[in-house]
Amino acid sequence: MAVIAVTGKGGTGKTVISALLIDHFSTDRKVLAVDADPDSNLPEAVGIKDYSTLGEIRELFQQNRDSMGTISKEQWLEGKIYGEAVNESKHFDLIVMGKPEGEGCYCFVNNLLRSVLRKLMKNYDVVVVDCEAGLEQFSRKTVENADYILIVTDTSKKGLATAKRIIDSTEELKLNFKNIYLVGNKVNSNGEGNAIKQFAEKEGIIFLGNIPYSEKILELDFRGEPITKLLEDTELNNHFREIFKGIGGINDH
Amino acid sequence: MVERAKVKIPKRAKKKESKDEQEFPFDISPMYEGERVRKGDMFVELGGPKQTGFELIINLPARNVQDMKSTLVGDDLDGLEEGKSYPYAMIYYIAGSQLDNDIEPVVERRNHDFQNFIEGYMHLNQRYDIWVRINKDAMKKGLKSLNQIAQATMMLFKNEMPFIEKIEALYITDGDLVKKLLDEYAMPVYEERDARVETLHDEDVDEFYSCTLCQSFAPANVCVISPDRPSLCGAITWFDGRAASKVDPEGPNKAIPKGELIDPIGGEYTGIDEFARNESGGGVDKVKLHSFFDYPHTSCGCFEVIGFYMPEVDGIGFLHRGYPNPAPNGLTFSTMAGQTGGGKQIAGFLGVGISYFRSKKFIQADGGWRRVVWMPSELKERIEKYITDGVKDKIATEKEVSVIEELKDFLKAKNHPVVTGVVREVDGEKITDGWVEEKEVEEIKEEVPATQPEAKVTEMPVAPIPQISMIPQSGGIKLVIKNASIHIEKIIVKRKDEK
Ligand SMILES: Nc1ncnc2c1ncn2[C@@H]1O[C@H](COP(=O)(O)OP(=O)(O)O)[C@@H](O)[C@H]1O
Ligand code: SF4
Ligand SMILES: [Mg+2]
Repeated sequence: MAVIAVTGKGGTGKTVISALLIDHFSTDRKVLAVDADPDSNLPEAVGIKDYSTLGEIRELFQQNRDSMGTISKEQWLEGKIYGEAVNESKHFDLIVMGKPEGEGCYCFVNNLLRSVLRKLMKNYDVVVVDCEAGLEQFSRKTVENADYILIVTDTSKKGLATAKRIIDSTEELKLNFKNIYLVGNKVNSNGEGNAIKQFAEKEGIIFLGNIPYSEKILELDFRGEPITKLLEDTELNNHFREIFKGIGGINDH
Repeated sequence: MVERAKVKIPKRAKKKESKDEQEFPFDISPMYEGERVRKGDMFVELGGPKQTGFELIINLPARNVQDMKSTLVGDDLDGLEEGKSYPYAMIYYIAGSQLDNDIEPVVERRNHDFQNFIEGYMHLNQRYDIWVRINKDAMKKGLKSLNQIAQATMMLFKNEMPFIEKIEALYITDGDLVKKLLDEYAMPVYEERDARVETLHDEDVDEFYSCTLCQSFAPANVCVISPDRPSLCGAITWFDGRAASKVDPEGPNKAIPKGELIDPIGGEYTGIDEFARNESGGGVDKVKLHSFFDYPHTSCGCFEVIGFYMPEVDGIGFLHRGYPNPAPNGLTFSTMAGQTGGGKQIAGFLGVGISYFRSKKFIQADGGWRRVVWMPSELKERIEKYITDGVKDKIATEKEVSVIEELKDFLKAKNHPVVTGVVREVDGEKITDGWVEEKEVEEIKEEVPATQPEAKVTEMPVAPIPQISMIPQSGGIKLVIKNASIHIEKIIVKRKDEK
């Protein structure tokens, strides 16, 4: 099992790229997609409409725990997650983290949750996590053990600044990722593309490629259609495959 | 007590038996724990959202149990159609010299663990919610009969829980029989077990359980969970603690042998004191489980409800997390919680879980419900039915009073026990004197803030609790530290000599 966390500034295209990655890996591997952004929009991007979130199940647990008698709370939670929060689509499964916790003590339920998720993740070859913008995911421990980090940036200064902060904090927090990758998104010109590439080289991380600014993506988004429709266009499809091929390690899992 | 007996299998039922199987066409390993059988990969589904199902452990005398025998009533796998859901019951009879009916739920929840060790077999949930899926691959590998599953599971039970000396299984896929047995055979047992939560008391068990999950942010805190004192965060009961410690004895929930009973009313035991001393690094010397003032249980900050003493009325109020307004003492939940967390024993404050209000021993050392004077109406409604007779209407809420003066008038008008003196329910001892003349109270009040050099205070006659001033109203300091981790070996605080 390999966990890849897709990170970066808000609006740079994390969700779009997560959706494309999920599609890419699920042609021949078992994939679990995780939407770790409280403002979830990965389900729509991959074409899943009805789903329940882990946050909802966690709240349900908090409300019901006093009346659980002698039943096992871990099994209760696991049953709810496996039964309701793992959304099966044809080629992959999706879980949505949903809203963060409310008031009160979540130590116990979060501890159970982590243990259930650890077991669940073992079922898959690849786990793709669409993260919350910025650095939140590290403190929240949603991506407890990511093996790979993929940073998405657009051509803006802010996008690159966030990328830099993510790289720095992985060092500070001594998170041991096997690789850190960079993808440039919404790139309009060669000049912009090169700047992103140079940034990666300077930071010593692996540059995967640039994705051009595309009206099609915006259009699909606007119509509320899954991003994966994009791949009906063979040229684009080939381009993405080429980019994702660079993700070493995972491709061997 | 629901009588434990074997199921009477109808004479004409379709029946298949097996005994002492050792070879299985599937792998058995903890590696398969958490294995998920996706809809597209499943051969059949048993129980689950669409069909009735249940699992049950029944403790019987040894002579009634045929060791390692399994019986299947109803269609076996070869009679089931691919992709469909079927009813399913798994009943195990167990026997052993150390077993009693109380152990049934502990054994029963392991069915989930052990069945998940079986490759290609997914087991979810418990009791009447069980949900099993069998993978198509398991069938390809040669799985033929549910008796094979039963045999493998029984083998695991005996290997992992050696106190089970004999075990016999009865699996059923016959829908009518599953339904009938769920209603008439299994439900009464489940209900009886849940009733145990309310009827099991500290004195009925030999062990309590600790919880150290919150030590990451309250390093000195140790929760002690007993039948009469569920965890202060509301998440863990004695039953949860027991199950967790059986699975992982070195995990966050450890068994604490009770030891000797030192104080039956306060709930003090040698075993707990020793444990608390060790775990707190000496910071906590004694813990009394059902005491409010004297060596109360520590709090890590996770409590659902905070109890606070109001000296002006010599009574205790309770305030739940999420209630935004100040209590009659003028303080909000978060202000008081800030004083109480961190694993210390703070006289005058106590963090509890909502389920502790159900306890028959609820702060019994300090008068129990008879000492309670105020709580928000929302909290009061939730726990109303557990309040001791005769006190319910005497406990004020924010609807009747908002400040101490109003509370005083209310309590006086209702003749609340604190006004004339609280007689402890548990032993009939009168533990408070009731209110003294207004004038005297005033005088005492003046004495306290005039806190002279410390040495003098300790020389004073042992101060009755009403005089403790819990929160420095002025001149105190408040530190708010966020997102910091601080390690301190030693702190020495000295008063500057005034010359
Ligand atoms: N290559 C692209 N060209 C044009 N628009 C894009 C491109 N990638 C993403 N977008 C648009 O940018 C917006 C933000 O993308 P999204 O994937 O939701 O970002 P994030 O998940 O990082 O917040 C969306 O409206 C999306 O349609
Ligand atoms: S508050 Fe709850 S989770 Fe935390 S240590 Fe106590 S019992 Fe455990
Ligand atoms: Mg997004």
